[in-house]
Amino acid sequence: MHISEGILSAQVLISGGVLTAAGTAIGLKKLDYDRIAQVGMLSAAFFVASLIHVNIGPSSVHLILNGIVGLLLGWAAFPALLVALTLQSVFFQFGGITVLGVNTVIMALPSVVCYYLFGPLLHQKTAVAITGAFACGFTAVFLSSILLGVSLVFTEQNFWAVSSLVILAHIPVMMIEGIITAFCVAFLKKVQPELLPGFFK
Amino acid sequence: MKTARIVNKKTICKPFLIALAIWIITPPITVWAHKVIVFAWTEGDTVYTESKFSGGKRVNSGIIKVYAPDGRKLIEGRTNAAGEYSFTIPQKTDLKIVLDAGMGHRGEWTLMRDEIEGTSDLDTKQALVEKIAENRRDETLLPVPATGCADIKAGIEKALDKKLKPLIRRLNRIEHQNDGPALTDILGGLGYILGLIGIAAYVHSRRRGK
Repeated sequence: MHISEGILSAQVLISGGVLTAAGTAIGLKKLDYDRIAQVGMLSAAFFVASLIHVNIGPSSVHLILNGIVGLLLGWAAFPALLVALTLQSVFFQFGGITVLGVNTVIMALPSVVCYYLFGPLLHQKTAVAITGAFACGFTAVFLSSILLGVSLVFTEQNFWAVSSLVILAHIPVMMIEGIITAFCVAFLKKVQPELLPGFFK
Repeated sequence: MKTARIVNKKTICKPFLIALAIWIITPPITVWAHKVIVFAWTEGDTVYTESKFSGGKRVNSGIIKVYAPDGRKLIEGRTNAAGEYSFTIPQKTDLKIVLDAGMGHRGEWTLMRDEIEGTSDLDTKQALVEKIAENRRDETLLPVPATGCADIKAGIEKALDKKLKPLIRRLNRIEHQNDGPALTDILGGLGYILGLIGIAAYVHSRRRGK
């Protein structure tokens, strides 16, 4: 899911950077102090999750966890993922410094979208909440795959071919992430519902 | 609930400037791929390449392109199921081998000129034949030691090549086996994140103190 250095054109890199800067600014602005530790923990989870490889299908893919991160953090997913991606590119050589902006948008934007789509479902009945959480984990990776295809459109020839390949490769990850997200939400609902978004509303 | 915001203009500017400074100071690291690794070595007049993802999975039918130093494309081909692709040395210069594994994955490996020159069988053989011929012409009186010497040299080189081949291959494999992130990298990253939480908490507490 990380785009390598030296593939994208300058325009794509710059627009990715601008979007990430905007998202991070909004995220920091909306971030309230009491949740700093939570943001850090989820950032750490995302950082480590990409080391878990799922070797099913044509390519080598890894867990992303942007669904659960978005669900719990909302806009704060941007700074959280930016930090984690920066560290990944420095320590693991995943992605790269110049593509940081694009990679952050690819993973964090779906998080925010899922936060708005599925966040309200979490305080419904348990069955609805868990289904929503599964859909959240699934959709986040799905949207990320599409965004990846979109950013490659200017360099690779065929959008549909690339996108469908990416989506196919990530279907196992979508399923696994959906299940993980569902479990997390079920657990949090029982143990610490105040961590879920919209609890105080 | 009144939320305490940790962000205002001042607190944003400072870390941003620090981060910028760090970014400028840090030497440019060649960073690639999520990551795919391609590496290459020569045996005789053939270049062997091997490509894999950081999880250890081989790159099946990834596109390998070989470039001359001036940017001309010399060869293009696809890796097999084991992630391997080989080609004969097209010219004796540095060769840049680029792997495109699709979906934004890209790896690079540069094969140095001396690596290529050092192993070319063809050339040494050619040179030897010429040398022998020369020796025969010049030293008609003593042909035996000259040819004998050259023969021995060629023989030794051939034998060495043969014996060293598997060794070189194994060295290459070992060198690139542990390209995945080490435990120290993982712990280091987690440490950084904890540190950032700490900094944020510190900045906040200072502001509240004032």
